[in-house]
Amino acid sequence: MPEPKIESEIMRISWGPQHPMSGQTRILLDTDGEKVHKIIADIGYTHRGIEKVLENRTLIGGIIPIERMNMVDSSNIGIGYVTACDKTYGLEVPERAQWIRSLICEMGRINSHLYAFGLQAEATAYFPAVFLWTTIDREVLLDLFEELTGARWSYNHFLPGGVFKDFPEGFEAKILEAVQYLRRRFKDYWNAMIENPMFEMRCDNVAILEPKDAIRLGATGPVLRGSGIPIDMRKEEPYAAYNSLDWEVITEDACDIMARTKVRFHEIGQSLNMMEQIAKEIPEGETRARFSPFSRAPEGEHITRVENSRGEMSIHMWTDGTTNPYRVKIMPPSLRNMYVFERLAELSEIVVADIPVVVNSIDPWYLDSDR
Amino acid sequence: MSNLSDFISSFEENYGKLVESVEIFEETRASIIAKRGSYIEIAEILRDEYGFVIPIAGGAIDYPEENRMEMNYYLDSPDSDFIVIYRVHLARDDLVLPTMTTVWEAMSFHERETKEMFGIDFEGHENMVALLLPPDWKGGYPLRKDFKGEGVE
Repeated sequence: MPEPKIESEIMRISWGPQHPMSGQTRILLDTDGEKVHKIIADIGYTHRGIEKVLENRTLIGGIIPIERMNMVDSSNIGIGYVTACDKTYGLEVPERAQWIRSLICEMGRINSHLYAFGLQAEATAYFPAVFLWTTIDREVLLDLFEELTGARWSYNHFLPGGVFKDFPEGFEAKILEAVQYLRRRFKDYWNAMIENPMFEMRCDNVAILEPKDAIRLGATGPVLRGSGIPIDMRKEEPYAAYNSLDWEVITEDACDIMARTKVRFHEIGQSLNMMEQIAKEIPEGETRARFSPFSRAPEGEHITRVENSRGEMSIHMWTDGTTNPYRVKIMPPSLRNMYVFERLAELSEIVVADIPVVVNSIDPWYLDSDR
Repeated sequence: MSNLSDFISSFEENYGKLVESVEIFEETRASIIAKRGSYIEIAEILRDEYGFVIPIAGGAIDYPEENRMEMNYYLDSPDSDFIVIYRVHLARDDLVLPTMTTVWEAMSFHERETKEMFGIDFEGHENMVALLLPPDWKGGYPLRKDFKGEGVE
């Protein structure tokens, strides 16, 4: 991005992309004393042209590059793409495979939200220890991922028509053990963060996003639900096994940073319940529909919408009868939330010291907004 | 309006003449192809009358063999169970559109991205600078079909 013009009597602070808290982006802050007048986000530092890459791959070959869009939550990216492939080929996914897909998605969501807490605790600068706790606890999930999919990052476990492999032996018991452990740990997180007066001082009534503004600016995911609007793709357009699972959409009405953090907390609770239900009630059966991986994709267009840990991720896929997609339009959640972040300074008063907390409250993932 | 067939019949009855076509695909998607003349007007009707206030995204697709491009806006409403894809067709030698940011402010990022990836100009956009590509990029428009992405130096 070329340097935007600076108004007179305004000081511009350029934050990132090398700052430890900024992520791979540059944020320009036009400040007047401590007060931030205007936020300009300069994204694109990690643009890799994934949409173009996908045009040059077969449909099944696209699963690998697209999961690179988000490292902590690659399962929830993969599910969107694979569901679009299912629709394109007209495949009927077996029940058991749908449940395994939901399990991997929920584990990914917990993994991602844990990472978000760690950063949030780090950004408030009072509790760097929480970042270490969440890192240790994510290991529990990564071990489960490794046993199920063979990888700790980028699982590539979803295939059109099902999943790559069934559970290894005795895996259900390990899920239940992990759920029990994580539930116990969440009480500690709750006490260390939400109940902590210092954390409250940094997060209560900061960066208010009213419901009407959240809708107008296109907010999504925990940012939208933290403003009290119950929109979640798992309920709006159920995919995988979300129709058969017992869970509810979490919302908070406070509209501030604390509300967004609480939404993530309660969503982890819901995800743990779902993991438990899947371990106990998963139906028996096939895990993959019959399908030739290099068959030509019939002509057409399909849109899938899935709920990523950061919000709605949609994929619009056009196919033209060859083995490759004609075009894949990815609509990532972080791009939408980044626009909200740019506008937050106009909606409520934000000071420079709050910026790391504010940016982490929308939980941006720049690999995902840049593609 | 929460039901897709109700929406389609109401929209066709009232504004069918102002658009090229209205159709359903995939059961929960309404595709509306706009006429250039009433492009912004229909967008405002979708927002104010039918409640499509949530901008999901915007993006284009290139058809060089038919010498055209298509700009798509994806819209959602808090109380509907379907989404609307609002489209407009453009000739490849006349890639100028009025900006949609006057209707949905949050389309700003998506139009900036479409401009650098496809070369479509959005007239009246307040901040039309590159979003993802570097400021000194001179390689053309990456998502057009005649741009070779791989195996080319």
